[in-house]
Amino acid sequence: MLETRRGRDDAVVSVQGDIDLTTFGAVQSALDAARVGVTVLVLDLRAVEFMDTSGLRLVITEQQRAAANGYRFVVVRGSGKVQRLFEIAGFPGGDPLFGDVSTGTAGG
Amino acid sequence: MSTRPAADRFALLAAAGEVADGTLLLETTVARLLGLVVPAFADVATLDSISPDGELRRLGSRVDAPRRREELEAALLRRRPLPDAPVGLPRAIVSAQSQLLPNVSDEELRMIASSQEDFELLRALELRSALFVPLRARGRTVGALALGVGTSGRSYDEDDLRYAEILSGHLALALDNATLAQTVTGLERRLEATLTNLAEAVIVREADGEIVFANSAAARLLNLGSVRDVTAATPQELMDLYHVFDEAGGSLTLADLPSSRAALGEDPEPLLVRNVDRATGAERWLLHKATPLFDADGSLSLIVSVVEDLTEVKRAELAQRLLAEAGQELSSSLEYGQTLQRVAQLTVPRLADWCGVVMREGDGLRQIAMAHAGPDREFETAAAEVIRTGRAQLTAEVIVVPLAIADQPPIGALSLAMAESGRTFADGDLALAAELGRRAAIAVENARLYTERSEIAMTLQQSLLPPDLPEIPGFRLAGMYRAAGEHNDVGGDFYDAFEVPGGWMVIVGDVAGRGAEAAALTSLSRYTFRTAGKLVGDPIAALEQLNGALRELPRLSLVSVCCVMLRVAGGDASADLVLAGHPPAYHVCRGSSHAVGVFAPFLGAYERAGWEATTIKLEPGDQLVLYTDGVIDTVGQAERFGEERLAQTLRDASGATDAVRRIEHALVSFAHGSQVDDTAVIAVERWPGGPAAGGSPARGAPARSTTTCT
Repeated sequence: MLETRRGRDDAVVSVQGDIDLTTFGAVQSALDAARVGVTVLVLDLRAVEFMDTSGLRLVITEQQRAAANGYRFVVVRGSGKVQRLFEIAGFPGGDPLFGDVSTGTAGG
Repeated sequence: MSTRPAADRFALLAAAGEVADGTLLLETTVARLLGLVVPAFADVATLDSISPDGELRRLGSRVDAPRRREELEAALLRRRPLPDAPVGLPRAIVSAQSQLLPNVSDEELRMIASSQEDFELLRALELRSALFVPLRARGRTVGALALGVGTSGRSYDEDDLRYAEILSGHLALALDNATLAQTVTGLERRLEATLTNLAEAVIVREADGEIVFANSAAARLLNLGSVRDVTAATPQELMDLYHVFDEAGGSLTLADLPSSRAALGEDPEPLLVRNVDRATGAERWLLHKATPLFDADGSLSLIVSVVEDLTEVKRAELAQRLLAEAGQELSSSLEYGQTLQRVAQLTVPRLADWCGVVMREGDGLRQIAMAHAGPDREFETAAAEVIRTGRAQLTAEVIVVPLAIADQPPIGALSLAMAESGRTFADGDLALAAELGRRAAIAVENARLYTERSEIAMTLQQSLLPPDLPEIPGFRLAGMYRAAGEHNDVGGDFYDAFEVPGGWMVIVGDVAGRGAEAAALTSLSRYTFRTAGKLVGDPIAALEQLNGALRELPRLSLVSVCCVMLRVAGGDASADLVLAGHPPAYHVCRGSSHAVGVFAPFLGAYERAGWEATTIKLEPGDQLVLYTDGVIDTVGQAERFGEERLAQTLRDASGATDAVRRIEHALVSFAHGSQVDDTAVIAVERWPGGPAAGGSPARGAPARSTTTCT
C-alpha cells in the first residue's frame, strides 16, 4: 500500500507491506509522481515489512537522480530486516541518506 | 304536508338505506336519491357534496315540472349558491342546522340569488316552501340537500323539517359511501392502468390457479398474441409452452416456480430461469418473483407474479463470462490443442449444444477439439468453406466462424451447433462466436511465438552459465541454479569460475530485472569480470573494471556480486572474498557457519566505492558458500527464508555437494507458492586430496581483514 502526502515543496511517499519484484514498480511510479516540483522527497519505509534488492535499486536510482537534479532525497529507516539490506548495500545506519519523516517540512 | 301517510315516509327511509350500501357508483347513487325524494317529498331538489376543505360541488338536480324540466334541471345543476347569503343552503351548511323557509318570499329569493338571472331562475321554480338540510356522516358534513315544494301545491312545516333531518342521515351515508367507493374505484383504475403499462410482465392469479389479470408485457414475454391468450390459459398450459431451466441448466417444473410456492402461502425468493419456446426455439432469461396476498381473515386471496425479462443482461453477462473464461484458458497454456478443447467445453451447453474446432494442417484439416452434449456432428464441409473464404456462416442452428487474426488467412474454424435442446441462436451469438474465434487464433499464434521465444531464452540462459563447473586443484565445487520462470524470462543471476594468474576466481552475481535487457547486462557483467579477472588476477581490481564498464552504460545499471579469489600456497588454502551490494557468504567449518564479507555498494552505483576483501583461511573440509538473494528471499508460509535459516542449514554441511543439496532441500520444503526470483548457489570446499594444487602467494590489493574458523 502506498500513500503520498504533499507539502508546499516536499512530498512524503509512505510504503506499507513488501517491496519486492512484484511491487517495486508501484513504488517507482509513486516516486515518479511525487518528485515533480519538490525540493525534498521523502521515502518512508517505517511500515515496510520486507524489502529485497529491487527496493534498494529503487533507492539508489532515486538518490542519483536527486544528486543530478538538485533535490534532496531522504529515506526514513525501516525495520531491522530492511536496514539489514541497506547495510549489505553499503549504507550503514548513520548514512546521510537516512532522515526522519519531518525532514520535508523542517528542512524544505 | 303532514297529510302524507307515515307509511310512504318509512318506505322512503328504507329505500334511502338501501342506496347507502356503497355498491353503487356516485352518479347512480345521486340519481337514485333525487328520484326517491322528487316527487315523493319535494317538487325540486338539489344535492351537493362538500369536500373536506369546504368546497361545494353540485352533484345533481331534480325538478318535477313537466314542461321546463330539462331546462330548469340543467340551470340548477350549473347554479353556484351564493356563499354569504343570510338564508339558504350555505347558511345551513355553515351553521350545521337545517333551515325551513315555510313561505318563500321574493325578498328571501333575492337574498339567496347571486344575480338577476339567478333570481329569475329561482322564481321560475314557483317555490312555496323550502328546506335546506346539511348532510352529516361519520362526524363531518359531507353534503347538503335543498328541497322545495310549490307546483304540487304542497308546503313544508316543522314536522317536514324533522323528517328531512332523519332522511338526511340516510342520504348522507349513501353519499359518503358512494364518494368513498369512487375513490377506491379510481385507485383501482389507476393501478390497473399502471400494471397494464408496466414493462415487467404481471400476472395475477386466484388461489385456485385461475389467471384473473395479465398485462400486455406478460403476453409479450410469453410469446402469446394477446392478454386474453394469457388469461384463458391455466398456469400448467403456459408452462407447457416452454422448456424451463434453472441457471445451472437443470429442468424446472411448474411447482418449482415462485408463483407455485406463493400459492402454498410461502414468500418465495426470486428465481432466474431460462425459457426455451418449444415452438420457435427462442430463448429468454426471466426473473420470476411472486407474492401471496392474503384477505383480512388470513386466507390466501391472490398470487401476484412479476416476471422481468433479463435476456439481454444475461446474454451480455454470459458472453462476457464466456470470453473471460476462454481468455483465461487460452492464456494458461502453450498446448493449444488442450486449450482449444477446454474452450470448446466452455461453450457447451451455455452457448450451443455442440462445439468443434478444426485447424488447417498442410493441405487438409484436422479436428482439434470437440465438445457436445449429444451425438457427433460433422461440419468439416462448412468449416473448409469458412476457412477458404474467411467469412462466417450462420443459420438458426449452426454457426461457423473462422479462427483468424485480423486480415490474415484463417488458421482454422470454430463450429457451434444447436441440437437436442431445441434452442436456436440469438442475435449476438454470431458476434460472440466470432470473438471467440479471433481470440483462439491469437492464442494459437501466441503459443507458436512463445515456444519460439522460449527456445531462444533457454539458449541464451544456458550461454550465461558455465557449461560445467571446472575442476579446481585443491578444491571441490558444487553449484545450483534455478530460474524463476519456467519459460521465457531470462534471469538476472549468474555464476562463473575460472582460472586467473595466481589462483582461481569464483563469482556469483545478480542483475536487476528480467528479460532481454537483464540478459544483456548479465552477459556483459560475466564476461567483463572474467576478462578483467584473467588480466589483473585480483578480485577488487576486476570489480573496479566491471564497475567502470557499468558506469559507461547509458542507464544506471546495478549489479551485486560476491566473488572469491582462491589461492593455495605451500599447502595452505585461502580465499579473498569481496562483496558488492551482496549478502554475506558463509564459511562452513567444524560444524558451524559464519557470515563473511565486508558490505559495500553495488557495482554500477558510484564512480568509486570502497570494496574490501576479507581473507579466509580454508582448512581441509571447510566450505565457502556463495549465493544470490533468491535463497534468503524465498517466500515461506509466514516469512522469508532469511540469513539465519541459511546459516543453520549450512552448519553441518559435510562438503560442497552436501551444502548445495541442503540448501536445495531446505528451500523446497520452506517455499510457499511459486518461486519469484532466480536462485544461484556455489559451494567451494577445500579438498587437499584432489589434484596437486598450484598457485602463488597473494598479490594485488592487500586484504584488510582475515578470518579463520576459530
